[in-house]
Amino acid sequence: MKRVLAVLFLLGLLGITLAAPYNTTIRVLAWDDALTQALKAGLPDFEKATGIKVVLELVPSGNLLQKIGVSVSVNKTDYDLVTVDEPFIPSLAHLMMPFDRWGSGKVFKKPPLNVFAPNAFEAAQWGGVFVGMPINANVYIWITRKDLINDPKNKSEFKSKYGYDLSVPKTFKQLRDMAEFFASKGIYGFAPFTKQTEGSTAEAIFMFEAFGTSPLTVEGGKVVVSLDEKKAVEAINFYKELLKFAPPGALDMGHAERIAAFNQGKVFTMFQWPALVPQHEDPNNSLVAGKIVYSAPPVGPVKGSAIRGCWVLAMPNATKNKEAAVEFAYWWASLETGQKLIPKGFTPARADLLLNPNFNKDRPWFKAIFDSMRNAVARPRFIRYPEASQIIRDNWLAAISGKVTPEEAVRKMKNDLNELIKK
Amino acid sequence: MTSTSSLRNKRERTNFGGASPHWFFVAPALVIVFAILIFPVLYSIYMSTYDWHLFYSIDKKFVAFKNFVELFKDSEFLHSLWLQFGFVVIALPIETIIGFFVALLLNRDGKFYTVVRSLLLLPVFILPVISGLTWRLLLQPEYGMVSFFLEKMGFGVKAWLAEPDFAYGMVIVQDVWRMWPFMFMFIYAGLSGVPREMLEAAEIDGASFWKKVFKIILPQLRPTIATALLLRLVDALRIFSEVYVMTGGGPGNSTMLLSLYVNKQAFEFFNIGYAAAMGVVLLIIALGLAFFIVGGNIRFEGERG
Amino acid sequence: MRRIKKRIISLIIVIITLTVLIVELMPILVVITSGFKRDIDIWARGPFYFKPTLESYKQVLSNRDLLMSLKNSLLVGFISTFISIIVGAMASYGLTRYVFKFKETIAYMFLSFRMIPQISLVIPLYVMFSFLKLRDTLTGIVLAHISFNIPYVIWLLLPFFAAVPCDYEEAARIDGATEMQVFWKIFFPLVSPGLVVASVFAFLMSWNEFLYALILSSVNAKTAPVAVNGLLGQYAPKWGQLTAAGTIMLIPVFIITLTLQKYIIKGLVSGGIKG
Repeated sequence: MKRVLAVLFLLGLLGITLAAPYNTTIRVLAWDDALTQALKAGLPDFEKATGIKVVLELVPSGNLLQKIGVSVSVNKTDYDLVTVDEPFIPSLAHLMMPFDRWGSGKVFKKPPLNVFAPNAFEAAQWGGVFVGMPINANVYIWITRKDLINDPKNKSEFKSKYGYDLSVPKTFKQLRDMAEFFASKGIYGFAPFTKQTEGSTAEAIFMFEAFGTSPLTVEGGKVVVSLDEKKAVEAINFYKELLKFAPPGALDMGHAERIAAFNQGKVFTMFQWPALVPQHEDPNNSLVAGKIVYSAPPVGPVKGSAIRGCWVLAMPNATKNKEAAVEFAYWWASLETGQKLIPKGFTPARADLLLNPNFNKDRPWFKAIFDSMRNAVARPRFIRYPEASQIIRDNWLAAISGKVTPEEAVRKMKNDLNELIKK
Repeated sequence: MTSTSSLRNKRERTNFGGASPHWFFVAPALVIVFAILIFPVLYSIYMSTYDWHLFYSIDKKFVAFKNFVELFKDSEFLHSLWLQFGFVVIALPIETIIGFFVALLLNRDGKFYTVVRSLLLLPVFILPVISGLTWRLLLQPEYGMVSFFLEKMGFGVKAWLAEPDFAYGMVIVQDVWRMWPFMFMFIYAGLSGVPREMLEAAEIDGASFWKKVFKIILPQLRPTIATALLLRLVDALRIFSEVYVMTGGGPGNSTMLLSLYVNKQAFEFFNIGYAAAMGVVLLIIALGLAFFIVGGNIRFEGERG
Repeated sequence: MRRIKKRIISLIIVIITLTVLIVELMPILVVITSGFKRDIDIWARGPFYFKPTLESYKQVLSNRDLLMSLKNSLLVGFISTFISIIVGAMASYGLTRYVFKFKETIAYMFLSFRMIPQISLVIPLYVMFSFLKLRDTLTGIVLAHISFNIPYVIWLLLPFFAAVPCDYEEAARIDGATEMQVFWKIFFPLVSPGLVVASVFAFLMSWNEFLYALILSSVNAKTAPVAVNGLLGQYAPKWGQLTAAGTIMLIPVFIITLTLQKYIIKGLVSGGIKG
């Protein structure tokens, strides 16, 4: 009798541990969009599998950093997991737990680094350490009107004028030629991003890197101003060339304006962030849905320089629920969850999902993301990134709008950045 | 208990069993507001004396008045101050004047006017963010309604928000559009306090409309208008969301009003010590302006008979 | 002859009124109609293009988070307004109808508390609320809101209380009324126009308030402005839903204003003494 009871007891214990390995609640702070809202739908399944209750708080990305700043400190945190936009990783790295110290997970296993798209993990890097896990693959891709490329009249005219075949622009020279060609036909060849927000800094870095220079680099553990004036001026002048072929109001274009212009069929080619691509393919919103071909951005004279902007899932050092938190992270990054979330607008960071032919059929931009990632560059890594971004952006915009000469702008940028570093 | 000597002392008569009645009335507000705010107020003054980055709270350094000195050398701050001053000085008088005349116009009875008055307040009610975004939409060069009308009026097609002077002007226009009904409502409420007999007497004396306005209505309304201006000033000095979504402070710095700059320092650069110092300076400036407006216009004593 | 002249003037006034109304409300109409348009139509077609759709409203009304936040805002709005009006009116009365030391200091202290930028106060408030376990509670938001609404109501009502002639007070006191009765039965009704304005705007301040609600709430006490802000999107705003939600948010305040207007009774202040 005793033996039966003992066995039953052990079985019971086994049952309990198998059924609900954890019995706790974790708090996750993430950005607010369709994807994260879709994540909420999967939470009950997660809870059933692990016994972890998740309080998922979604905050508009413009306010996310403020909440993190107020709630997370060295020895206290109100959240067990937070999502951080990659440029801000350097300033928060000291508060987060390095990825290699994350547990291996009981129910959901820790994914190996090579499961992710090339270069994606760099998003979480600071000081040689990965302080989190990239959760989506956000990188510049290029969108082009394939109906305009395939039009025979365009093809022959272009060939006779420029001497090579019309195609998706693969180099900067091609980009310029094709933008000019279409501008002469009444279609804007190119649409820039020029609003006074982070998007313009991304454009500036995209150009600078393509010409072989970057405002700030980390050398020997310290951040130094590394802008090559000659190359920077070349970059600025090239962009000014491109602006000639852009829609009116080109000096004040933000996402809304760019999307509107492209969706009305007025723009031949431009960069785009993957998260916004669905807006171009929505027949209710776009006159050019189905007419778009996706690719990695054209390569500059020195290299390809697609700007990367992944969201990084980070775990504050001060959290008391480390094991439960990593379970959620691994669940989010798992193959199954990814497959469920992609229809809701998720752009996965996992290579196996990006290259999956099923998804690529309806989402041809996935392959473009993968290709683009290969040449991904980051915006300058610096703990006081927002201020640096402002300096870069202000001087860049002043230069391309003609308010100051490129040389002046570049010089001022270097000066101001040096001042900032000194602080 | 009571002193029958003078009118002044009459109000100190109490029947609260000896306790002064004025404390009874003022105490709840005092206790509640203090309980909630005394710690934050003192803490923010404390923050203003530190060089403090929100993510590096452990490394904050005490710098006493250095933040304040920095502020007055900060060209961006001074520029924002100037922009804010211009904004207040231009927008508020226009709002008051429009509000005043519309209050006179709509000072009528009837369901029609009740509905009209409520409808006119809709711009005040709308969420600031939506107001700013709508104006951004309306000013779009190709499809905005306001751009459309401005074009027809001969101003040509312009990206209004892309040029510094126009952007600033449009920020002011947005505020005037949004807030003159606030002044209107306030003055309208105050109009009900203008003694009817005074107006009737003036009419019998054959006073013209303008005479009535300047000799009777305006003087009676001085405390009301001063209060409305004061309340409007307090909020105009802090205007944020509408401008932020309309222009983001740009183009360049041309619409970087004060609270946009404070927000930038506090929530984009996370220099919360510096931002707190700005808060203190703002408070002092606002108080100064308040003293000026209150002046002799708002009396703290009831009327003598 | 007189009658016809009066009628013509009335008609002219109605026409001027309608003109003012239409010009002023045009942007509001844009907001309301945008709620019924597809996003591309709002941004990309001319302002006069209108192909109605209920899609945005469907999405807004099926968004449980948004609906919850609207409910929270209503609760917080009503409670904070009620408290602010009662407490604020009492303080305003006390500051105007009595003579005592420090009253101007106290009045200006209230004003100062209202003038300190919220950005300065929100971080310490967060720390305080965390400690008091008030974070993400409606009580916390209500407290945060009355902290700025009470001073606002006090100052708003000052001219209204000050305008009441002393005779009323004295008459009531001679009749043997207690101080409290003087306040409630005499003054409170007399300043009704001020109370109406104060109620409407105190409610509005709470209803539209964003920063405190954002930082001090999390998932349970989220208010409408925070939820609507989510529609701004990381990149581009969801125009249709944004304007639909914005239009919905206009309704409660509008109704309150309509209903309270009947309490702005005119000419009360004069006339009463003779009786």
